[in-house]
Amino acid sequence: MNAYRDKYAQVFNDGRKVVLIAISADVDTALASWARDADYPVLFGSDTGSAVGKAYGAYNAQYKLDNRNLFVVAPDGKIAYRATPFREIDPTSYTDLGAAISKLMPADSTAR
Amino acid sequence: MTLVLAALMQQPAAPPAPPPGPAALEVGAVAPDFAIPGATRYGTLKNPVRLSDYKGKTVVLAFFFKARTKG
Repeated sequence: MNAYRDKYAQVFNDGRKVVLIAISADVDTALASWARDADYPVLFGSDTGSAVGKAYGAYNAQYKLDNRNLFVVAPDGKIAYRATPFREIDPTSYTDLGAAISKLMPADSTAR
Repeated sequence: MTLVLAALMQQPAAPPAPPPGPAALEVGAVAPDFAIPGATRYGTLKNPVRLSDYKGKTVVLAFFFKARTKG
């Protein structure tokens, strides 16, 4: 998650018109305390039981956790991009992700 | 010889193990809605996080293994 935090302004447009939801099988209190300690500016979702992971095909039955899969949901509710798995520590992952997000952004939304 | 080479070239250098569990949703699929407990750096949320609350916005869903792990 550190890389997400550090790339937040650049890739996620500082949260304007782009919502990043980080999802794991952790309970919400564990996610909140971790987010506080590491100052993560993103929204976390607690997928205990992995219903969401299963719905998206991110569930890892062997470890009973969600795999590091990433999906970009377009404003129309359809999946516009996916990285399965998303290589969080690889800088090129963010180039591809940033390009996918930019394509979905209104032209003027990146202006400060 | 050509056949052997052709066969070799079709083999990936390190075949990735198939992920256990269902296949990931494809691009173009409708993203399934969900409502799950949410949290931010300011604490847990009173209301569940719903994908449908963000209709009209771009949403990035980043699944990850576990809190307080690297990566």
